[in-house]
Amino acid sequence: MIGSLAYCILGTLLVGAVAQDTTVPQIGVDDSLWYPYDETLLLKPLPNNDLLLSFTFQLQSEPFDPAVSSHSFDAYEYYTTFPRAIPPLLDSTATRQFHLRFTRGFWDALSWGQLPHGGKQAGASGVELWSLVQAADQEQAFQNWKKLANSLSGLFCSSLNFVDKSRTTFPRRSYASASASPLFNDTENLYLMRASLPNEPICTENLTPFIKLLPTRGHSGLTSLLDGHKLFDSLWNSISLDITTVCTENGDSLCHYEMEAHVDMATHVPSALARNERPIPKPLDGNSLRCDMDKPFDSYQCFPLPDPSETHLKLSQLFSKPIKNGNLFANRPTKICADVDRSTWTAHLSVDDTIYSTHDNCFELSNDQNESGSGYDFILESSDTTQVSPVDPVPIHVGRSLTGNGQDRGGIRTAFHNDNDTPVKLIYFESLPWFVRVYLSSLQITSTTSSHLHEDDIITDKYYLQAADRQRPAHLEFTMLIPAHSDIVMTYQFDKALLQFAEYPPDANHGFEIDAAVITVLSPESEEPVYETRTSTLLLSLSTPDFSMPYNVIILTSTIMGLIFGMLYNLMVKRIVTVDEADKIMLNSGLKYKLLKLKEKLLKTKQTKID
Amino acid sequence: MVSTEFKVALGCIATRLAVMCLFPSLQQQLDKSVEFSTPVTSFRSLQEGIYLLRNNIQVYNHGVVHHPPILVLFLSLFDSDKLISIIYASLDGLIAYQLTKMTKVFKNLKVQSWLPGLLYAVNPLVLLSCVSRSSIIFTNFAISSSLYCILTEGNVILSSVMISVAGYLSFYPLLLLIPLLGMLKSWRQRMFSVIVSILSLLILLLFSYNMLGGESWSFLTQVYGSIISFQKVFPNLGLWWYFFIEMFDTFIPFFKAVFNIFIAAFITPFTLRYHKQPFYAFILCIGWIVLTKPYPSLGDAGFFFSFLPFFTPLFGYLRYPIISALLFLHAIVLAPIFYHLWVVLGSGNSNFFYAISLVYALALASILVDLNWAMLRIEYDNGVPNFKLKVTQI
Repeated sequence: MIGSLAYCILGTLLVGAVAQDTTVPQIGVDDSLWYPYDETLLLKPLPNNDLLLSFTFQLQSEPFDPAVSSHSFDAYEYYTTFPRAIPPLLDSTATRQFHLRFTRGFWDALSWGQLPHGGKQAGASGVELWSLVQAADQEQAFQNWKKLANSLSGLFCSSLNFVDKSRTTFPRRSYASASASPLFNDTENLYLMRASLPNEPICTENLTPFIKLLPTRGHSGLTSLLDGHKLFDSLWNSISLDITTVCTENGDSLCHYEMEAHVDMATHVPSALARNERPIPKPLDGNSLRCDMDKPFDSYQCFPLPDPSETHLKLSQLFSKPIKNGNLFANRPTKICADVDRSTWTAHLSVDDTIYSTHDNCFELSNDQNESGSGYDFILESSDTTQVSPVDPVPIHVGRSLTGNGQDRGGIRTAFHNDNDTPVKLIYFESLPWFVRVYLSSLQITSTTSSHLHEDDIITDKYYLQAADRQRPAHLEFTMLIPAHSDIVMTYQFDKALLQFAEYPPDANHGFEIDAAVITVLSPESEEPVYETRTSTLLLSLSTPDFSMPYNVIILTSTIMGLIFGMLYNLMVKRIVTVDEADKIMLNSGLKYKLLKLKEKLLKTKQTKID
Repeated sequence: MVSTEFKVALGCIATRLAVMCLFPSLQQQLDKSVEFSTPVTSFRSLQEGIYLLRNNIQVYNHGVVHHPPILVLFLSLFDSDKLISIIYASLDGLIAYQLTKMTKVFKNLKVQSWLPGLLYAVNPLVLLSCVSRSSIIFTNFAISSSLYCILTEGNVILSSVMISVAGYLSFYPLLLLIPLLGMLKSWRQRMFSVIVSILSLLILLLFSYNMLGGESWSFLTQVYGSIISFQKVFPNLGLWWYFFIEMFDTFIPFFKAVFNIFIAAFITPFTLRYHKQPFYAFILCIGWIVLTKPYPSLGDAGFFFSFLPFFTPLFGYLRYPIISALLFLHAIVLAPIFYHLWVVLGSGNSNFFYAISLVYALALASILVDLNWAMLRIEYDNGVPNFKLKVTQI
């Protein structure tokens, strides 16, 4: 208590000192003291008045010697900008890398083209986590992984603690980018584990801790823009965090952690701006409607016009606040770039009502230019928003859906559509929960474009691990070759097992979310992954028992069993006699006879008493 | 001159092949119906096993295959769909043949020798079960062969081996060894039969183990473990499924033990009580297992009913044959309807189908109880029917 008080006072004194010394030109700030931190924002207008905003943050930890255990007496930890929470976590779980994705929404690949960063930073809908854990055996690796998931669950306020054996897969070829990492111990191996929670709602709770990991913590630089209301209001958004261990090969064998964080969002600009004007979604009044005058138009009819193709967009409008400052301490300034079609778009940076422009539409926000504190603003102007810089075509379109009616059986149908002139080689990864009982023998490959098709030509390598009840999910990993200009459809069937009644979630009739399939496109020459994409998640409805019935069922079934047992038992042990004989015997031994005897006895005693 | 057995068997095969050819999609339809296919007997799970075996994927590493390895291996030898149809049809034909042969053994039976075989051939339950390619037919064939060997040829070795095969295929028929011992004449034979059964079972298991190579004994839990401990909760006509869905977690192991004991409960009593009619005791045991097993299908019930014509002398003593028959009809007519209402339409809930499975259990139980009574009654009359006499039990 006293210590913290003292610290506070010291802090205020220091701040005071700095504030007084503003005239002194940066005494003692050596270049080498700038910290390894990098932040950029890329804006890219997309067709249909959509806009892609890509925030990238990169930082590095101080080098450390992997040979010295953090538990050893001499060990000390030294953090600068690197988040304090991460290294102990990696250390205690022997994790070399982990990759976390929070994604929501629909990426319209047909009009927007490729996902940002080649799809490598976008997860499946919900939360996705994969990591490379060093361990002596798989069981120990799983224990570490479970610990990691639990810690991340606490760190990011997500449900990652629900990651268990029945959700974890050990991918073989997918997620291959995560494979290269050093070993500090020859007897141990690296295990790649992956899990995903498709029904996780992504919200502010996950974004806030994410921002706190970054050194600017939302107070300056690009993080000052990030705001849950704006980010999660978009059509598609993805938050990603990758931590990797990088070691130098030469003599001293020092390692450091690298952290790469991304926030990507695709937003529809007119509706995002409209939200500022009309926070409550009321209908527009007649005057502000944009009607097509060529068509019938009166006070009852209005054919709406498309969104205006001219735009003057300020970043501060989109996020309701300006960029506060540069990042203040990094070795490289904050950078904002716009990827626009130069014939119709212009990009400007506005500082204190002064407008700047550059030839490559990239701007660096220096720390000292903005003295009045009004912040930076970024302006995008266009005379024709339909003209955007060309989008990269997607190497492959994949759609996945459930087939079949009825709640006891079903199928999965995955359609691959290759538009290119060359065949596409890809890895199809799928993990299905254990209550989906897959029949791989029903796997069928059909094509709408070519009739002569061999399954082996399409699926060149097949890996399948059956699901185990409550223990592990089914794991499919196919290497596929989709011919040029073709539509390939892959289907297979499954049964849906029933669960015990306590295993159903509270809203059992809502259905169960199934993980997205992960498609990794490989480059034809080097077999290196060039693009990653995920299908949408699926909602599977299982047949449900009647949840109000446990006692009734136990009683009814037991009654029937008791009835059967009793009847057979009686038949087997009792003696057969004629009815007359039975009557006679009953006369001398039955219940009636005994009652009679009792009555007589009682009456007799009464008689004697009266006497 | 072709003997009656052959005619019956050929007729049986012909009807099955005709149905399979006329309704080619019927197999898949029936394979999806809960009445004829269960997770442990369905043909699609067998196909999956064959597929995994051919693709060198571990067959019994959890998953959906619950068929014993030798069966999977045997069927993987046949590539063509037609050939598999013929195998299933001819197995049914063989059962019909054996039934006819067995009828001839009972000289004082006043039914035509072709009747049981013919009834088997036209019994819709067995017919549809065969068309659905449920693997229960292999078990049925093994049981029927065992009876056939002991009744017609007195071949103790083959009979015991066939019981082991039946047990190997679906576990619970192993209990039928007890009534089989009842059918043997001397203690020496009984000892011999037990030893032969155990040895042949061991050989079968060792062969399976050897056949799977690296997979070790995982098939034991996957094939028998899943039957005994009812791992795959899937609706069927038995008493188990809904009970274990609704049961509280902590009591599940206890009740699984209780249900298993229940299956074994009446096997020895039947054998001892009806030691003078060991064949009858054997059939009663089949009926009892059909009633209490975890994954019953109508194919089991149909097989059990095929032996009823052997007991025509008892029919006069049955107290409520109409009620039993109506209960049974009620159950098998309403079962698919209520299942459809629950699972496909969603207009009914699981209780509908549960109720029907209870009715089905009652129907089978009333048949069993009535048969018991009739046998006790005919014993009382010393084989000379006296329907007028009113008797009771005390």
